[in-house]
Amino acid sequence: MKEETLVSALTFAAACFMAVFSLAPFLYMFATSFSASPDYLTGGFNFTLANYSDVLGVRSLHFLDYLRNSLVVSFVSSAATVLLASLAAYAITRLEMKGKAAILLFVLAVSMFPQVSLIGYLFRVMTELDLINTRTALVLPYIAWILPLALWILVSYFAQIPKELDRAAVIDGCTKWQVLFKVLLPVALPGIFSTALLSFIFAFNEFLFALMLTTDYQSRTIPVGIALFQGLHGETPWGQIMAASTLTTLPILLFTLLFQRHIVQGLTRGAVKG
Amino acid sequence: MKIHLNGVQKTYSTLRRETEVLKNINITVEDREFFVLLGPSGCGKSTLLNIIAGLEPVTGGEVRFGGRLVASVNKKDFVQPKERNVAMVFQNYALYPHLTVFENIAFPLRIARAGEEEIKSGVEKSAEILKISGHLQSKPAELSGGERQRVAIARAIVRRPDVLLFDEPLSNLDAQLRTATRVELKKLQRELGITAVYVTHDQVEAMTLGDRVAVLKDGLVQQLDTAIGLYERPANRFVAQFIGFPQINLFETEVKNGTFSLCGADFPAPAQAPSGPVWAGIRPSDIELKDAGPLNGRVDTIELLGRDAVLYVSCGRLEFAILSERKDFREGDAVRFSLNPGKTHCFPRRP
Amino acid sequence: MKKRFFSSLEPYLFVAPLALFVVFFVFIPILGTVWSSFYSDVTFLERRFSFLQNYGALFSDPGFWKSLRFTLLFISVAVPLELIIGTAFAVVLDLEIPLRGLLRACVLIPWAIPSAISARIWELIYNYSFGLANFLLAKTGLARGPVNWLGTDFGAFAAVTAADVWKTAPFVAIIVLAGLQAVPRDLKLQAKIDRANFAQVFFKVTLPLLKPVLVVALLFRTIDSLRIFDVLYVLTHGGPGGATASVSLYAYKYFLGGDFGYGSAASVALFLVSFALSCLCVKYSGFTEAAS
Repeated sequence: MKEETLVSALTFAAACFMAVFSLAPFLYMFATSFSASPDYLTGGFNFTLANYSDVLGVRSLHFLDYLRNSLVVSFVSSAATVLLASLAAYAITRLEMKGKAAILLFVLAVSMFPQVSLIGYLFRVMTELDLINTRTALVLPYIAWILPLALWILVSYFAQIPKELDRAAVIDGCTKWQVLFKVLLPVALPGIFSTALLSFIFAFNEFLFALMLTTDYQSRTIPVGIALFQGLHGETPWGQIMAASTLTTLPILLFTLLFQRHIVQGLTRGAVKG
Repeated sequence: MKIHLNGVQKTYSTLRRETEVLKNINITVEDREFFVLLGPSGCGKSTLLNIIAGLEPVTGGEVRFGGRLVASVNKKDFVQPKERNVAMVFQNYALYPHLTVFENIAFPLRIARAGEEEIKSGVEKSAEILKISGHLQSKPAELSGGERQRVAIARAIVRRPDVLLFDEPLSNLDAQLRTATRVELKKLQRELGITAVYVTHDQVEAMTLGDRVAVLKDGLVQQLDTAIGLYERPANRFVAQFIGFPQINLFETEVKNGTFSLCGADFPAPAQAPSGPVWAGIRPSDIELKDAGPLNGRVDTIELLGRDAVLYVSCGRLEFAILSERKDFREGDAVRFSLNPGKTHCFPRRP
Repeated sequence: MKKRFFSSLEPYLFVAPLALFVVFFVFIPILGTVWSSFYSDVTFLERRFSFLQNYGALFSDPGFWKSLRFTLLFISVAVPLELIIGTAFAVVLDLEIPLRGLLRACVLIPWAIPSAISARIWELIYNYSFGLANFLLAKTGLARGPVNWLGTDFGAFAAVTAADVWKTAPFVAIIVLAGLQAVPRDLKLQAKIDRANFAQVFFKVTLPLLKPVLVVALLFRTIDSLRIFDVLYVLTHGGPGGATASVSLYAYKYFLGGDFGYGSAASVALFLVSFALSCLCVKYSGFTEAAS
């Protein structure tokens, strides 16, 4: 009896520690964003909404531009990625072809390359094509960069759908495309949703490509925007940075809370299962 | 619809080796027949069913539906499943989990672009036959195993197919439900008057359902006969062992001058028995316990089956299984018994 | 005949779009980088073939070796910490506790937020005069004076490592949790019937069964840490004096300066190290079997 109480107390303490460990920096961010100056820990806290009104209201800070770029780029990349990966996963799990293992391994190996070994060449190609500082310049490499992960997740989802389902569909008169669109994709929908979520997060968080291939607010994404954030005045505008970070983080936070099951499923498929 | 399988062969080739799954299958399924393909796992029976369905091409021989060629070595002869007008019921039901029962049954009609009216009446009629009208708005996940299998059958018959194919449809059901569904299936097939081909590894299912049964092993038809024929006149040792419960008794012996001996007693061999080394077989039900019997032994074990009991009796180094209505024996009892004349089988044996 | 040719080609048409993207935007750029590493290739100067000259310069630059040393040191400190903390988190998440789903989501959040943003938060935390870290140290009296986190070699290393571990331990936790949930309950029950305590069950039964998952997490994290960039870029800019410059950051600075040949040579060096690790990963994690 005593041991059980001790164990549950320890468990509770551990759970609290985990929550604090994970969330404390965000609380700090949140508090700072409402403070007139960042030294409130020692200097006293003055509540203000000025940081938010600056970030949202002052056009030259371009926060909303960055946010829009990020959303557009991430959305397009993740949609395209899921579509292309679904087609490939279908062929790999369902059609007779040689070199399936080779394709999967090639794609896996490719996903492990360091981004820095691509950016020099990509920068040049995008310059040649006159695409530097456009969203297209980000979307194209993002798709390629996220595809391997998406493919692995979807292959594992598709492989788990019983083959009899395809056979039944063929007997019922479906063509290959109908099998894919009327049976497999709808059945794999939860998996596709997980994959889309993860792809979105990956694209949204990407930094190095965005840093190299964009030059200003016309295509710059949120991570780079916040990393390079210049205030209206000389010194680091911590209040505004934290306000911008909060505005970016809150939706992701809600997103994660809502869809954690899907995210976890996708992550585990991509990494553990194969 | 009459189905002809003429010299059907199927070989799977991978980079490393070729596996011959079906060697040379010649079967004619009569119109409106309930035909069963019976065999142990890996005998090629499901592959054969897939070939009839049009899910897999053949690598030798040909398949004809009525007079129409639907598959041969020549790929251009291949007719797609939907052009063959077949329907199939799978072991794991293969229902579309994202669709309601109604839409599952309607699926083949929708793919065939039938009109709304036709779909509605078709689905309702099928559902009624299978007694699942109350579940039309449920998702498959909400149904029991037996109900799911009914939905699968309803989906199969909704298009009025010429041929119904069953791939071990009862294996996932519990024993009681299996028996009940078996009876219904046969009735359904008779009422609809459709040709049915049914794959199973369960000899009881095969015997009870099949007008005729083909026993398959190692990609070859071992015997094609009615259920009674398989039981009473097994063509070889494999069929003799595979059919019948309790299993047939088989002993190594030799046929000399038309007789063989077991435990020191001589028995007349069947007329067509080969001379030389043989497996002599006698079914447990064809052994009679009687005091004047030529064989004597001691009861080792007794298994009670309800109406009957199986006695395992050792006689020298041999052990006989004997089916008896008498249940008053005890282990260790001495018994005398005889083999019913004309019920013994002899299969050639490699010495 | 023609139709048959197309039908045997059909599966590849499904894979083709994916393959094209990967080849055009990952594979060819890699080749391009290798190619240009053999050239003296600086913006505004004439491009000429210089064969191994870039590599010669690279290998004789102490700055490169320093960045490689930092990268490897960083991996050897950060990755084990991530694995230990991640596994500990996973064990707690595997217990039957109230609000388990919520806790799981909380743990996921650091992973889901862009590293550039969390790095900025950490930058503020490490601020010398008013950051949270020094405030807590002063309050608890653990340090005599404020620590110059980002201005000293050791402080910067610790700061970067802590920020990275905080961000990636959740990833490990989620993967290990999946592994834990795959451990049959019967096995744990059996161990309990055999009167093993919690620690014994964990070390004698669970941990050995987790080994494959841990190996995968280890390799994933190692390969990912090898290319660490964004946290460093935001938090320290590689400073002080190149003490926290990873190879990625080192190469990036040359690309930024317009020296594409030299930057390429540095990235090829990093790529080779990572390729070797990828091969190890593929070999030891059982991906080959999974694929076939």
